[in-house]
Amino acid sequence: MRKLVSLLSIGALSVGVLSGCSDSEGGTSGSNSGSKDDVLKVWSFTDELKEPIKTYEERNGVKVELTIVPIADYPTKLKPALESGVGAPDVFTGEIAFLKQWVDAGYWENLSEDPYNVNEIADDYIPYVFDLGKDSDGNVRALSWQTTPGGVYYKRSLAKEVLGTDDPAEIGDMMSSMEGVFEVAEKMKEKGYKMFPDEGAIRWFSQGANPEAWVNENNELVLTEDKINYMDYAKELRDKQYTALAPEWSPSWFEGMSKPIKVKEGGTETETQVFSYVLPTWGLHSVLKDSAKDTAGDWAVTNGPSPYFWGGTWLGVYEGSKNKEAAYDFVKLMTQDEEFLTDWAEETGDVLAFKPVTDKIKDDFSDEFLGGQNNYEFFLGQADEITPGIVTKYDQQLDTLYGASVLQYVEGKKTKDEAIAEFKKQAKNAYPDIQVD
Amino acid sequence: MKKLDRYGYAFIAPFWVVFLTFSIYPVFLTLYYSFTNYTGSPGEEIVGFANYARLLTDTFFIEAFVNTIKIWGVNFALQIGLALLLALLFSDLRLKLKGLAFFRSFFYLPNLITISSVALLFGILLDWQHGSLNMMLLKLGIISDPINWLSQPVTAQLSVSLILTWMWFGHSFIIVMAGVSGISKDFFEAAHIDGANRWQMFTYVTLPLLKPILLYIMITSLIGGLQLFDLPLLLTDGIGAPDGSLNTMVLYLYNQAFKYNNYGYAAAVAYGLFLITLVFSAVVFKGMFRKERAAQKGA
Repeated sequence: MRKLVSLLSIGALSVGVLSGCSDSEGGTSGSNSGSKDDVLKVWSFTDELKEPIKTYEERNGVKVELTIVPIADYPTKLKPALESGVGAPDVFTGEIAFLKQWVDAGYWENLSEDPYNVNEIADDYIPYVFDLGKDSDGNVRALSWQTTPGGVYYKRSLAKEVLGTDDPAEIGDMMSSMEGVFEVAEKMKEKGYKMFPDEGAIRWFSQGANPEAWVNENNELVLTEDKINYMDYAKELRDKQYTALAPEWSPSWFEGMSKPIKVKEGGTETETQVFSYVLPTWGLHSVLKDSAKDTAGDWAVTNGPSPYFWGGTWLGVYEGSKNKEAAYDFVKLMTQDEEFLTDWAEETGDVLAFKPVTDKIKDDFSDEFLGGQNNYEFFLGQADEITPGIVTKYDQQLDTLYGASVLQYVEGKKTKDEAIAEFKKQAKNAYPDIQVD
Repeated sequence: MKKLDRYGYAFIAPFWVVFLTFSIYPVFLTLYYSFTNYTGSPGEEIVGFANYARLLTDTFFIEAFVNTIKIWGVNFALQIGLALLLALLFSDLRLKLKGLAFFRSFFYLPNLITISSVALLFGILLDWQHGSLNMMLLKLGIISDPINWLSQPVTAQLSVSLILTWMWFGHSFIIVMAGVSGISKDFFEAAHIDGANRWQMFTYVTLPLLKPILLYIMITSLIGGLQLFDLPLLLTDGIGAPDGSLNTMVLYLYNQAFKYNNYGYAAAVAYGLFLITLVFSAVVFKGMFRKERAAQKGA
């Protein structure tokens, strides 16, 4: 009897301990039981895919299990699953931040081969978006449904008052060069307004007219003339007091969208308004529409000195999936299905990368928030101008490191040469295999 | 008899299974990785002591070490000083302060807030243009231009030290208070009769008797302090801005591993950190005890 009790308690204890572990380890991965073939497992870092999954389930009669892992933990959680194949998804999304690393890691199925042959429909996509899904051998590993080019969102009322017009095309002309941007900024200052919330806003134009990859084919770090000039532009913005000293994502950055904000500099405090925000497609839906409700209708979007893109989500089929056919069906629905994508675009306003659909819908798009402007057409135009092939797996970190060095220069803590030297040292330290001169 | 022995092993088995899998195995796996150029995907090569050689000459790691010690040192001095002062006030026979239980929990409260909330809170308080601290100083006329606390190395490090002090002085206070209550009142009375003043009582009676407790606080705080990570990560850009002043050893390890994918080198950094912690703890321990033995011999 005593033996039985001991055994039972040991059993109970071990179950408790072991289930405790598996809980913390795989809390988000859902159940692994059941036959694998009739459930399609999808992993992503937002709830964006919920709607398409519903459509997919209705159409194909296949049950989809969506696992959402917050972006900060996403790579760390996903990687072990992909490496070992245990509890791995059939389809998973990748964000631009780690996309380049993943396409080369071989986690995604090669979509350039049979039976997928996506290269045949390459012309249907915005070039840079299609290109980003390719690995270093030129095989497509992931596709995207969206394109995320950027623009400059500005307040129409301030534009009319200071520049005499609120027409996006005319203002886009004024801001088609850095000199133009500074002219507008000076005019804004004269009337007591601030051109941008902070000097980081123009980092998207730091590539200039001749964008180059951070790291070239010879594995050398490339710091272009344009990127170095960006340091001076950023400093000029700060020194000439063209910004509201409200760093991106800070409370005052959001406040400046709909309210006058206070700026303290040179011993005085002034109340001012921010003229423009440099944000991409999603900035309209996820940032401005949420944070600038009071000024809805007073906004418009136009181009800056050079086209750029910011963010984006790609998806592909897991190379070890036992369910590749169904998995690719889902990718197809998300990236090539005209009926579904038309509904999706009209519902969410997401700017798509699939031209057969965008060609049909772009002409009669208009957004109330932007005073009825057809932002869809504008963004598609910008997307087509983006140079493909310059994104590397190093970009995310090198941009951060460079930004930190530029800030040192802007704040006068370092000279330009010191800041550049510091950046190179940091880059070398982060990526020892890159050649840094 | 023998049979019963085996039950014992069965009972401790669950713990050992978990401990071996989640603690011991990773420790040795990390040691293995520290000799490779592992980048997160299989196919690593053994590179011998290359990672350790790099560690010894890595100015960023040395900078991180100095930063960590600086931030921890200032924090510890303030924290222990504050804890001792408060313990002294509350244990003073003549003052007879009331409400010890209330203050004990009140001072401990900051320790219960999750670190991310603390970082968010202080991020707003210390904000350059709109932070309450700058608003207050401007209103009082102490400064004429707002200070960008988190953008200058000295103020940024000091901010982290002070936040840590705020979070941990209550914890130290409770432990010191427990130590002080454990000292027999006879010592204080005897000292009082002998004509000792408060300062003499503190330095000749309280402090020597508190030594084991202070040693305990110091070692635990040092080990925690050397692992300083979350506040620097959350307060600025996560890579140690401004100018690398918030780059601590664990933050550096984290960035090498999870941002730059240099897992092999990060593993070497981890072992470097382990050795440093070991050496520091040993030095503190030895130093404290040698004095004690000397004192005993002298007496």
